[in-house]
Amino acid sequence: MRVRVDGVRCVGHGRCYEIAEEVFGEDERGHCVVRLTGVPPELQAKARQGAANCPERAIEVDDEAAS
Amino acid sequence: MTKPVLLSPEFNADPLPGYREARRCPVAHDALLDSVLISRYSDVLAALRDPETFSSEMSAASIGQQRPLIPLQVDPPRQTRFRRILDPHFSRRRMQALEPDVRALVNGLIDSFEREGRCEFNAAFAVPLPCTVFLQLMGLPQSDLPELLALKDGIIRPEADSPEEGQALREATGTRIYAYFERLLDERRRKPRDDLMTWFLSAELDGDRLSREEILDISYLFLLAGLDTVTATLGCSVAHLSRNPGERARLVAQPGLWPAAVEELLRHETPVPVVVRVVTRDTTFAGYELSAGQSVLLLLGAADTDPLEFEAADDVSFERETNRHLAFGGGPHRCLGSHLARMELRVALEELHRRIPDYEIAAGEEPRWGGGIREVQYLPLVFPLAT
Repeated sequence: MRVRVDGVRCVGHGRCYEIAEEVFGEDERGHCVVRLTGVPPELQAKARQGAANCPERAIEVDDEAAS
Repeated sequence: MTKPVLLSPEFNADPLPGYREARRCPVAHDALLDSVLISRYSDVLAALRDPETFSSEMSAASIGQQRPLIPLQVDPPRQTRFRRILDPHFSRRRMQALEPDVRALVNGLIDSFEREGRCEFNAAFAVPLPCTVFLQLMGLPQSDLPELLALKDGIIRPEADSPEEGQALREATGTRIYAYFERLLDERRRKPRDDLMTWFLSAELDGDRLSREEILDISYLFLLAGLDTVTATLGCSVAHLSRNPGERARLVAQPGLWPAAVEELLRHETPVPVVVRVVTRDTTFAGYELSAGQSVLLLLGAADTDPLEFEAADDVSFERETNRHLAFGGGPHRCLGSHLARMELRVALEELHRRIPDYEIAAGEEPRWGGGIREVQYLPLVFPLAT
Protein backbone atom coordinates (compact mmCIF):
# COMPACT_ATOMS: atom_id res chain seq x y z
CA MET A 1 0.00 0.00 0.00
CA ARG A 2 1.16 3.52 -0.82
CA VAL A 3 -0.20 6.83 0.49
CA ARG A 4 0.18 10.25 -1.08
CA VAL A 5 -0.88 13.68 0.17
CA ASP A 6 -2.00 16.50 -2.11
CA GLY A 7 -0.13 19.46 -0.62
CA VAL A 8 -2.48 21.96 -2.26
CA ARG A 9 -5.63 20.43 -0.81
CA CYS A 10 -4.16 19.92 2.67
CA VAL A 11 -4.91 22.88 4.97
CA GLY A 12 -3.63 21.39 8.22
CA HIS A 13 -6.69 19.90 9.94
CA GLY A 14 -4.27 17.32 11.34
CA ARG A 15 -6.79 14.49 11.53
CA CYS A 16 -4.43 12.12 9.69
CA TYR A 17 -1.49 12.47 12.05
CA GLU A 18 -3.78 12.47 15.10
CA ILE A 19 -5.07 9.06 14.01
CA ALA A 20 -2.02 7.46 12.36
CA GLU A 21 1.09 9.22 13.54
CA GLU A 22 3.31 6.35 12.39
CA VAL A 23 2.30 7.03 8.80
CA PHE A 24 1.59 10.78 8.74
CA GLY A 25 3.57 13.59 10.30
CA GLU A 26 3.34 17.38 10.36
CA ASP A 27 5.52 20.04 8.82
CA GLU A 28 6.28 23.36 10.50
CA ARG A 29 2.83 24.73 9.60
CA GLY A 30 1.02 21.61 10.77
CA HIS A 31 0.33 20.41 7.25
CA CYS A 32 0.60 16.71 6.49
CA VAL A 33 3.84 15.08 5.44
CA VAL A 34 3.83 11.38 4.63
CA ARG A 35 6.37 9.56 6.81
CA LEU A 36 5.96 6.12 5.31
CA THR A 37 5.17 6.20 1.62
CA GLY A 38 5.03 2.42 1.53
CA VAL A 39 2.82 1.30 4.40
CA PRO A 40 3.58 -2.07 6.01
CA PRO A 41 0.62 -4.44 6.52
CA GLU A 42 0.35 -3.89 10.28
CA LEU A 43 -0.23 -0.14 9.77
CA GLN A 44 -2.51 -0.28 6.76
CA ALA A 45 -5.81 -0.16 8.62
CA LYS A 46 -4.63 2.88 10.59
CA ALA A 47 -3.30 4.58 7.45
CA ARG A 48 -6.61 4.01 5.72
CA GLN A 49 -8.51 5.47 8.66
CA GLY A 50 -6.21 8.50 8.83
CA ALA A 51 -6.71 9.15 5.13
CA ALA A 52 -10.49 8.62 5.32
CA ASN A 53 -10.82 11.23 8.06
CA CYS A 54 -9.34 14.09 6.04
CA PRO A 55 -12.09 16.70 5.59
CA GLU A 56 -10.32 17.99 2.48
CA ARG A 57 -9.95 14.55 0.87
CA ALA A 58 -6.27 15.35 0.39
CA ILE A 59 -4.86 11.85 0.94
CA GLU A 60 -4.83 9.16 -1.69
CA VAL A 61 -4.44 5.51 -0.78
CA ASP A 62 -3.23 3.06 -3.39
CA ASP A 63 -3.92 -0.48 -2.18
CA GLU A 64 -2.37 -2.09 -5.22
CA ALA A 65 1.09 -0.58 -4.89
CA ALA A 66 3.70 -2.73 -3.21
CA SER A 67 4.79 -1.45 0.19
CA MET B 1 -46.08 26.97 16.97
CA THR B 2 -43.71 29.03 14.83
CA LYS B 3 -40.29 27.57 14.18
CA PRO B 4 -37.44 29.30 15.98
CA VAL B 5 -35.33 31.77 13.99
CA LEU B 6 -31.91 30.47 12.94
CA LEU B 7 -29.30 31.20 15.62
CA SER B 8 -31.86 32.43 18.17
CA PRO B 9 -31.47 31.07 21.72
CA GLU B 10 -34.44 28.72 21.15
CA PHE B 11 -32.88 27.44 17.94
CA ASN B 12 -29.49 26.96 19.56
CA ALA B 13 -30.95 24.92 22.42
CA ASP B 14 -32.06 22.20 19.98
CA PRO B 15 -30.86 22.89 16.44
CA LEU B 16 -31.27 19.42 14.89
CA PRO B 17 -34.92 19.85 13.76
CA GLY B 18 -34.01 23.18 12.16
CA TYR B 19 -31.04 21.67 10.37
CA ARG B 20 -33.19 18.81 9.09
CA GLU B 21 -35.67 21.26 7.67
CA ALA B 22 -32.93 23.44 6.16
CA ARG B 23 -31.42 20.46 4.31
CA ARG B 24 -34.77 19.77 2.64
CA CYS B 25 -34.15 22.89 0.56
CA PRO B 26 -30.35 22.80 0.64
CA VAL B 27 -29.72 26.16 -1.06
CA ALA B 28 -32.43 28.64 -0.11
CA HIS B 29 -32.87 32.36 0.25
CA ASP B 30 -33.89 33.45 3.74
CA ALA B 31 -35.83 36.70 3.53
CA LEU B 32 -35.51 37.51 7.22
CA LEU B 33 -31.72 37.19 7.22
CA ASP B 34 -31.44 38.43 3.61
CA SER B 35 -28.97 35.64 2.97
CA VAL B 36 -28.71 32.43 1.04
CA LEU B 37 -28.51 29.44 3.38
CA ILE B 38 -26.40 26.48 2.27
CA SER B 39 -26.91 23.41 4.39
CA ARG B 40 -25.83 20.19 2.69
CA TYR B 41 -22.41 18.80 3.68
CA SER B 42 -21.06 18.49 0.12
CA ASP B 43 -22.18 22.04 -0.79
CA VAL B 44 -20.85 23.60 2.41
CA LEU B 45 -17.48 21.94 1.89
CA ALA B 46 -17.37 23.02 -1.76
CA ALA B 47 -18.12 26.63 -0.78
CA LEU B 48 -15.51 26.63 2.00
CA ARG B 49 -12.92 25.39 -0.47
CA ASP B 50 -13.77 28.05 -3.08
CA PRO B 51 -12.89 31.48 -1.64
CA GLU B 52 -12.76 32.96 -5.16
CA THR B 53 -16.54 32.56 -5.37
CA PHE B 54 -17.40 32.59 -1.66
CA SER B 55 -15.28 35.35 -0.22
CA SER B 56 -14.59 35.85 3.46
CA GLU B 57 -13.58 39.51 2.93
CA MET B 58 -14.62 42.24 5.32
CA SER B 59 -18.03 42.97 3.80
CA ALA B 60 -19.07 39.54 5.05
CA ALA B 61 -19.39 40.65 8.67
CA SER B 62 -19.16 43.94 10.50
CA ILE B 63 -18.04 43.49 14.08
CA GLY B 64 -16.74 46.91 15.05
CA GLN B 65 -13.52 46.64 13.09
CA GLN B 66 -12.04 49.46 11.01
CA ARG B 67 -10.06 47.22 8.69
CA PRO B 68 -10.38 43.56 7.64
CA LEU B 69 -9.52 41.17 10.45
CA ILE B 70 -6.47 39.07 9.71
CA PRO B 71 -6.37 36.33 8.55
CA LEU B 72 -10.14 35.63 8.48
CA GLN B 73 -11.32 38.58 6.39
CA VAL B 74 -8.56 38.38 3.81
CA ASP B 75 -8.73 35.75 1.06
CA PRO B 76 -5.92 33.92 -0.72
CA PRO B 77 -3.46 34.74 -2.14
CA ARG B 78 -2.90 37.58 0.38
CA GLN B 79 -4.23 35.45 3.21
CA THR B 80 -1.68 32.73 2.50
CA ARG B 81 1.16 35.00 3.60
CA PHE B 82 -0.48 35.54 7.00
CA ARG B 83 -1.24 31.86 7.47
CA ARG B 84 2.34 30.93 6.63
CA ILE B 85 3.49 33.28 9.39
CA LEU B 86 0.83 32.28 11.96
CA ASP B 87 0.30 28.55 11.36
CA PRO B 88 3.61 27.40 12.90
CA HIS B 89 2.66 29.09 16.17
CA PHE B 90 -0.61 27.18 16.35
CA SER B 91 0.53 23.80 15.09
CA ARG B 92 -0.37 20.71 17.04
CA ARG B 93 3.26 20.31 18.10
CA ARG B 94 3.32 23.82 19.60
CA MET B 95 0.03 23.24 21.36
CA GLN B 96 1.23 19.96 22.86
CA ALA B 97 3.94 21.94 24.64
CA LEU B 98 1.24 24.00 26.39
CA GLU B 99 -0.64 20.95 27.63
CA PRO B 100 0.91 20.72 31.13
CA ASP B 101 0.12 24.39 31.82
CA VAL B 102 -3.46 23.96 30.60
CA ARG B 103 -3.88 20.83 32.75
CA ALA B 104 -2.73 22.75 35.83
CA LEU B 105 -5.10 25.59 34.99
CA VAL B 106 -8.02 23.17 34.54
CA ASN B 107 -7.33 21.55 37.90
CA GLY B 108 -7.10 24.94 39.57
CA LEU B 109 -10.55 25.83 38.28
CA ILE B 110 -12.01 22.49 39.39
CA ASP B 111 -10.48 23.05 42.86
CA SER B 112 -12.58 26.20 43.18
CA PHE B 113 -15.94 24.37 43.05
CA GLU B 114 -15.26 20.68 43.67
CA ARG B 115 -16.18 20.88 47.37
CA GLU B 116 -19.38 22.84 46.75
CA GLY B 117 -21.28 19.96 45.20
CA ARG B 118 -22.64 22.37 42.61
CA CYS B 119 -21.51 24.94 40.09
CA GLU B 120 -22.80 27.15 37.35
CA PHE B 121 -20.56 25.58 34.76
CA ASN B 122 -20.33 28.51 32.35
CA ALA B 123 -19.13 31.09 34.86
CA ALA B 124 -17.09 28.66 36.95
CA PHE B 125 -15.26 26.87 34.15
CA ALA B 126 -16.25 27.34 30.50
CA VAL B 127 -15.63 31.12 30.43
CA PRO B 128 -12.48 31.42 32.54
CA LEU B 129 -10.54 28.50 31.02
CA PRO B 130 -10.11 29.70 27.41
CA CYS B 131 -9.76 33.31 28.56
CA THR B 132 -6.92 32.46 30.92
CA VAL B 133 -5.18 30.36 28.25
CA PHE B 134 -5.51 33.33 25.87
CA LEU B 135 -4.01 35.70 28.42
CA GLN B 136 -1.04 33.40 28.97
CA LEU B 137 -0.49 32.91 25.25
CA MET B 138 -0.61 36.61 24.45
CA GLY B 139 1.43 37.49 27.53
CA LEU B 140 -1.26 39.56 29.22
CA PRO B 141 -1.67 39.94 32.98
CA GLN B 142 -4.47 37.99 34.64
CA SER B 143 -5.72 41.30 36.06
CA ASP B 144 -6.76 42.37 32.54
CA LEU B 145 -9.34 39.57 32.35
CA PRO B 146 -12.43 41.66 33.27
CA GLU B 147 -11.48 44.35 30.76
CA LEU B 148 -10.94 41.84 27.94
CA LEU B 149 -14.23 40.09 28.72
CA ALA B 150 -16.03 43.43 28.60
CA LEU B 151 -14.41 44.26 25.25
CA LYS B 152 -15.27 40.88 23.76
CA ASP B 153 -18.88 41.01 24.98
CA GLY B 154 -19.23 44.59 23.72
CA ILE B 155 -18.67 43.19 20.23
CA ILE B 156 -20.35 39.82 20.42
CA ARG B 157 -23.38 40.70 22.50
CA PRO B 158 -23.71 44.47 22.90
CA GLU B 159 -26.41 45.47 25.37
CA ALA B 160 -28.52 47.57 23.04
CA ASP B 161 -32.21 48.18 22.37
CA SER B 162 -31.94 48.45 18.58
CA PRO B 163 -29.68 47.12 15.81
CA GLU B 164 -28.43 50.69 15.16
CA GLU B 165 -27.56 51.18 18.81
CA GLY B 166 -25.87 47.77 18.82
CA GLN B 167 -23.74 48.66 15.83
CA ALA B 168 -22.75 52.01 17.38
CA LEU B 169 -21.76 50.20 20.57
CA ARG B 170 -19.71 47.69 18.56
CA GLU B 171 -17.83 50.46 16.82
CA ALA B 172 -17.11 52.24 20.11
CA THR B 173 -15.89 48.96 21.61
CA GLY B 174 -13.80 48.34 18.49
CA THR B 175 -11.97 51.63 19.03
CA ARG B 176 -11.20 50.57 22.61
CA ILE B 177 -9.88 47.19 21.43
CA TYR B 178 -7.45 48.84 19.02
CA ALA B 179 -6.32 51.22 21.78
CA TYR B 180 -5.78 48.33 24.20
CA PHE B 181 -3.53 46.43 21.78
CA GLU B 182 -1.73 49.64 20.65
CA ARG B 183 -0.72 50.24 24.25
CA LEU B 184 0.41 46.65 24.66
CA LEU B 185 2.48 46.76 21.47
CA ASP B 186 4.27 49.88 22.67
CA GLU B 187 5.06 48.17 25.97
CA ARG B 188 6.45 45.08 24.25
CA ARG B 189 8.49 47.17 21.86
CA ARG B 190 10.13 48.86 24.85
CA LYS B 191 10.43 45.68 26.92
CA PRO B 192 10.32 42.47 24.85
CA ARG B 193 9.03 39.33 26.58
CA ASP B 194 8.57 35.68 25.71
CA ASP B 195 5.02 35.96 24.39
CA LEU B 196 2.96 36.12 21.22
CA MET B 197 2.75 39.92 21.23
CA THR B 198 6.53 40.27 21.31
CA TRP B 199 6.87 37.63 18.62
CA PHE B 200 4.46 39.50 16.33
CA LEU B 201 6.91 42.41 16.35
CA SER B 202 9.77 40.35 15.00
CA ALA B 203 7.89 37.75 12.94
CA GLU B 204 8.85 37.77 9.31
CA LEU B 205 8.38 35.75 6.18
CA ASP B 206 10.91 35.97 3.38
CA GLY B 207 12.32 39.10 4.99
CA ASP B 208 8.89 40.69 5.20
CA ARG B 209 7.69 41.89 8.63
CA LEU B 210 4.12 42.34 9.88
CA SER B 211 3.13 45.99 9.93
CA ARG B 212 1.75 47.59 13.10
CA GLU B 213 -1.74 47.68 11.63
CA GLU B 214 -1.50 44.04 10.63
CA ILE B 215 -0.53 43.06 14.18
CA LEU B 216 -3.52 45.00 15.53
CA ASP B 217 -5.84 43.33 13.02
CA ILE B 218 -4.58 39.88 14.05
CA SER B 219 -4.91 40.62 17.78
CA TYR B 220 -8.45 41.94 17.33
CA LEU B 221 -9.48 38.71 15.65
CA PHE B 222 -7.79 36.53 18.27
CA LEU B 223 -9.75 38.26 21.03
CA LEU B 224 -13.04 37.64 19.24
CA ALA B 225 -12.39 34.19 17.79
CA GLY B 226 -10.41 32.56 20.57
CA LEU B 227 -12.58 32.93 23.63
CA ASP B 228 -16.28 32.30 23.02
CA THR B 229 -15.71 29.36 20.74
CA VAL B 230 -14.05 27.07 23.27
CA THR B 231 -16.44 28.34 25.97
CA ALA B 232 -19.37 27.31 23.77
CA THR B 233 -17.89 23.90 22.96
CA LEU B 234 -17.28 23.12 26.63
CA GLY B 235 -20.83 24.13 27.52
CA CYS B 236 -22.45 22.18 24.67
CA SER B 237 -20.35 19.08 25.45
CA VAL B 238 -21.06 19.06 29.19
CA ALA B 239 -24.74 19.87 28.64
CA HIS B 240 -24.95 16.90 26.27
CA LEU B 241 -23.12 14.55 28.65
CA SER B 242 -25.20 15.68 31.63
CA ARG B 243 -28.27 14.42 29.75
CA ASN B 244 -26.60 11.23 28.52
CA PRO B 245 -25.18 9.50 31.60
CA GLY B 246 -24.59 6.26 29.67
CA GLU B 247 -22.16 7.96 27.29
CA ARG B 248 -20.52 9.72 30.21
CA ALA B 249 -20.05 6.48 32.15
CA ARG B 250 -18.27 4.95 29.17
CA LEU B 251 -15.88 7.91 28.95
CA VAL B 252 -15.18 7.75 32.66
CA ALA B 253 -14.45 4.01 32.39
CA GLN B 254 -12.42 4.36 29.16
CA PRO B 255 -10.63 7.73 29.11
CA GLY B 256 -8.81 6.58 25.95
CA LEU B 257 -12.05 7.40 24.12
CA TRP B 258 -11.68 11.14 24.76
CA PRO B 259 -9.94 12.13 21.50
CA ALA B 260 -12.69 10.45 19.46
CA ALA B 261 -15.35 11.82 21.82
CA VAL B 262 -14.07 15.38 21.42
CA GLU B 263 -14.36 15.07 17.63
CA GLU B 264 -17.81 13.54 17.87
CA LEU B 265 -19.08 16.22 20.26
CA LEU B 266 -17.61 18.89 17.97
CA ARG B 267 -19.53 17.32 15.10
CA HIS B 268 -22.81 16.70 16.87
CA GLU B 269 -22.90 20.07 18.65
CA THR B 270 -21.08 22.23 16.04
CA PRO B 271 -20.83 25.14 18.51
CA VAL B 272 -20.16 27.67 15.72
CA PRO B 273 -23.21 26.72 13.67
CA VAL B 274 -22.75 29.16 10.78
CA VAL B 275 -20.03 31.02 8.90
CA VAL B 276 -20.62 33.99 6.61
CA ARG B 277 -19.40 34.46 3.06
CA VAL B 278 -20.12 36.90 0.22
CA VAL B 279 -20.65 35.81 -3.39
CA THR B 280 -18.09 37.49 -5.65
CA ARG B 281 -19.62 36.80 -9.08
CA ASP B 282 -22.85 35.67 -10.69
CA THR B 283 -22.77 31.90 -10.73
CA THR B 284 -24.81 28.75 -10.61
CA PHE B 285 -24.22 26.71 -7.48
CA ALA B 286 -25.92 23.37 -6.84
CA GLY B 287 -28.52 24.36 -9.42
CA TYR B 288 -29.27 27.69 -7.76
CA GLU B 289 -28.54 31.11 -9.29
CA LEU B 290 -26.34 33.23 -7.05
CA SER B 291 -25.52 36.85 -7.80
CA ALA B 292 -22.47 38.91 -6.93
CA GLY B 293 -22.74 40.67 -3.58
CA GLN B 294 -25.20 38.20 -2.08
CA SER B 295 -24.59 37.21 1.51
CA VAL B 296 -24.32 33.47 2.15
CA LEU B 297 -24.59 31.56 5.41
CA LEU B 298 -22.86 28.19 5.40
CA LEU B 299 -24.69 26.06 7.96
CA LEU B 300 -21.80 24.08 9.42
CA GLY B 301 -24.20 22.52 11.92
CA ALA B 302 -26.53 21.26 9.20
CA ALA B 303 -23.56 19.94 7.20
CA ASP B 304 -22.25 18.11 10.25
CA THR B 305 -25.57 16.32 10.75
CA ASP B 306 -26.18 15.55 7.08
CA PRO B 307 -27.15 11.86 6.68
CA LEU B 308 -25.61 11.85 3.19
CA GLU B 309 -22.21 12.24 4.88
CA PHE B 310 -22.73 10.66 8.32
CA GLU B 311 -24.50 7.44 9.25
CA ALA B 312 -27.02 7.91 12.04
CA ALA B 313 -26.05 11.57 11.87
CA ASP B 314 -28.25 12.74 14.74
CA ASP B 315 -26.79 10.18 17.15
CA VAL B 316 -23.58 10.51 19.15
CA SER B 317 -21.18 7.62 18.62
CA PHE B 318 -17.58 7.44 19.79
CA GLU B 319 -16.93 4.59 17.36
CA ARG B 320 -17.23 6.39 14.03
CA GLU B 321 -14.60 5.13 11.63
CA THR B 322 -14.76 8.38 9.67
CA ASN B 323 -15.70 11.76 11.05
CA ARG B 324 -14.85 14.51 8.59
CA HIS B 325 -16.82 17.15 10.47
CA LEU B 326 -16.57 20.82 9.58
CA ALA B 327 -16.83 22.27 13.08
CA PHE B 328 -13.54 24.10 12.38
CA GLY B 329 -14.60 25.00 8.85
CA GLY B 330 -12.46 23.88 5.96
CA GLY B 331 -10.51 25.12 2.99
CA PRO B 332 -7.96 27.92 3.38
CA HIS B 333 -9.77 29.53 6.34
CA ARG B 334 -9.72 26.36 8.47
CA CYS B 335 -9.77 27.57 12.08
CA LEU B 336 -6.24 28.69 12.97
CA GLY B 337 -6.83 27.78 16.62
CA SER B 338 -8.22 24.29 15.97
CA HIS B 339 -5.23 22.49 17.50
CA LEU B 340 -5.33 24.73 20.56
CA ALA B 341 -9.08 24.18 20.89
CA ARG B 342 -8.78 20.39 20.58
CA MET B 343 -6.08 20.25 23.24
CA GLU B 344 -8.00 22.51 25.63
CA LEU B 345 -11.20 20.52 25.15
CA ARG B 346 -9.59 17.13 25.61
CA VAL B 347 -7.61 18.13 28.70
CA ALA B 348 -10.58 19.95 30.24
CA LEU B 349 -13.03 17.10 29.69
CA GLU B 350 -10.54 14.43 30.80
CA GLU B 351 -9.75 16.18 34.09
CA LEU B 352 -13.33 17.22 34.75
CA HIS B 353 -14.61 13.66 34.38
CA ARG B 354 -11.71 12.17 36.29
CA ARG B 355 -12.51 14.36 39.27
CA ILE B 356 -16.27 14.78 38.90
CA PRO B 357 -17.47 11.69 37.07
CA ASP B 358 -21.09 11.98 38.12
CA TYR B 359 -23.12 15.15 37.64
CA GLU B 360 -26.51 16.29 36.50
CA ILE B 361 -28.48 19.43 35.81
CA ALA B 362 -29.86 20.82 39.08
CA ALA B 363 -33.43 19.71 39.79
CA GLY B 364 -36.05 22.08 38.41
CA GLU B 365 -33.47 23.97 36.35
CA GLU B 366 -32.85 24.14 32.61
CA PRO B 367 -29.71 25.12 30.72
CA ARG B 368 -30.02 28.39 28.82
CA TRP B 369 -28.41 28.91 25.41
CA GLY B 370 -27.42 32.28 23.97
CA GLY B 371 -28.01 33.46 20.43
CA GLY B 372 -25.34 33.43 17.71
CA ILE B 373 -22.70 30.92 18.60
CA ARG B 374 -24.05 28.15 20.84
CA GLU B 375 -22.78 29.27 24.23
CA VAL B 376 -24.61 27.66 27.15
CA GLN B 377 -24.86 30.82 29.20
CA TYR B 378 -26.45 29.12 32.20
CA LEU B 379 -25.65 25.51 33.05
CA PRO B 380 -26.37 24.71 36.72
CA LEU B 381 -24.81 21.37 37.67
CA VAL B 382 -24.97 19.36 40.88
CA PHE B 383 -22.73 16.46 41.82
CA PRO B 384 -22.08 14.21 44.81
CA LEU B 385 -19.20 15.31 47.01
CA ALA B 386 -16.11 13.12 46.88
CA THR B 387 -15.64 11.21 50.11
